[in-house]
Amino acid sequence: MIDRLKKAPFIMVTAFSYFIIYFPIFVIVLLSVNASPSGQTFTEFSFVWYKEIFLNERLLTAIFNTLLVAVISTAVATVVGTLTAIGINSLTKTYRIRFMILNNVPVINPDIVTGLSLMLVFSLLPISFGMPTMLLAHIFFSIPFVVLTVLPKLKELDPNLMDAALDLGCNYFEGVVKVIIPSIKTAIIAGALIAFTMSIDDFVISYFTTGNGFQNVSIWIYSRLGRRTFSPAVYAYNTLVVFLTIGVLGYINVNNIIRVKRRSEK
Amino acid sequence: MKHLRKLSYPYLVWMVLLVFVPTLLVLLLSVSDLDVFNAGPFRLTFEWIEFLGKPKVTNAVRNSIYYSFLATFFSFLIGYPVAYYLASLKTRFKTFYVTLLIIPIWSNMLLRIIAWEKLFFPISILNMFGISFDLIGTDYAILIGMVSMYLPFMVLPIYSVLEKMDRSLVDAAKDLGANDFQTFYKVIFPLSISGVVSGTIMTLLPAMTAFALPERLGAGKIQLIGNVIEDYFLKTNNINAGSLISILLMVVIVFMFIAILRFDKEGETLI
Repeated sequence: MIDRLKKAPFIMVTAFSYFIIYFPIFVIVLLSVNASPSGQTFTEFSFVWYKEIFLNERLLTAIFNTLLVAVISTAVATVVGTLTAIGINSLTKTYRIRFMILNNVPVINPDIVTGLSLMLVFSLLPISFGMPTMLLAHIFFSIPFVVLTVLPKLKELDPNLMDAALDLGCNYFEGVVKVIIPSIKTAIIAGALIAFTMSIDDFVISYFTTGNGFQNVSIWIYSRLGRRTFSPAVYAYNTLVVFLTIGVLGYINVNNIIRVKRRSEK
Repeated sequence: MKHLRKLSYPYLVWMVLLVFVPTLLVLLLSVSDLDVFNAGPFRLTFEWIEFLGKPKVTNAVRNSIYYSFLATFFSFLIGYPVAYYLASLKTRFKTFYVTLLIIPIWSNMLLRIIAWEKLFFPISILNMFGISFDLIGTDYAILIGMVSMYLPFMVLPIYSVLEKMDRSLVDAAKDLGANDFQTFYKVIFPLSISGVVSGTIMTLLPAMTAFALPERLGAGKIQLIGNVIEDYFLKTNNINAGSLISILLMVVIVFMFIAILRFDKEGETLI
């Protein structure tokens, strides 16, 4: 596509955009190994903040809360989202499109609108703000992403697959669990990964739907900005999360490449 | 297949409950003195309208439009060539390069904002490389921060459309005598328009509603509509006036929604 155009400007713009996107991440990594508590200057290389993660009790609680909400909301969103996508896929085209419009509302809506909307609904329900409301909110914004990831894969499936399963003696439940779900496994895993990462990094929606002092890492950070209780240990935590994400994605990518290779060798 | 339809019904109920009910609630709150946390009798009132004329709010609206349009414009200017270049790559590292764009979205946004904030002060960690910025509280700080945060949202939808484009159309255009520029604006760009629309909206809306970013990078001097909403909903407990202001946002969102629907019915460019 670009063969006749000069490549150099494209490479430069691309390099610049990776730079501007990655620069803050690089700074976070640098701050995580910097002994200075203020992070204003680089004083000394040190892993002290990595140790501090496990010593700062409030931060540790926030990390635990983040993971707890992420694990439960991902599990629920993956199951509900997958089943819903199977349902949506079997609708007629007109209804499918209408349904997807509704599904995409939380995806397109800015976080702050989703956050305040949920806050208002929850205030009418007989539940107290805190972990349960934040969990419901995370389930709410995760499901659409699972649906969006799973649905394209479902569309690729042979529409006769389910009928074949039924003819061969499966009931509806078995047909879904033994035939459809295994054939969309990769998309389900991708959807779950997206849901999980969205959940652990969410700030705005959590901020609007929490209460009673229940804090995840983002709220912990926000409530301590510019205060003395802010600890650079959170840079260390974030660095670990980033490398873990890269590791998981790298592992999946490598596995995929190996699988493709094996298939082409056969 | 038809029996599987039932699987989508619970989600329909759930979405109606959590999407339509709050929208109606926002509408009701903005024209009444209903207290959501102590629901009881209420009366209709239009007293919240005067909030729309307050300098705090009009400034925030102006700032929101100004910064989000500029940030989106620059993101498009940078993002389109990047998406175009990535889509044209033929190496097997292609997916790897695209994945690299997504990873930063999964790093905590507040911390990335703090990282920029620290760099924009004259005394910063960058001094060790002999660099010093004094940008905190300026337009540049906010725009650099926004582009850095939202650029991937512009690149990814455009990339996914260009990736799927039939390459033989480009060859056909060239065979028929179009030069590079004509091929681009008569064939490639019109075919990528759905990605451009999604990318623009996915950049514009978060930029318009940001509140942590302008607060930190604007050194507390620059307020966007998100700051006003945060203030009214969570700090000064003025939910009714806050609702009226969020209706302004919702109107914008509805128009954006219609734009996306016009080009991408099932939201295939959204992920």
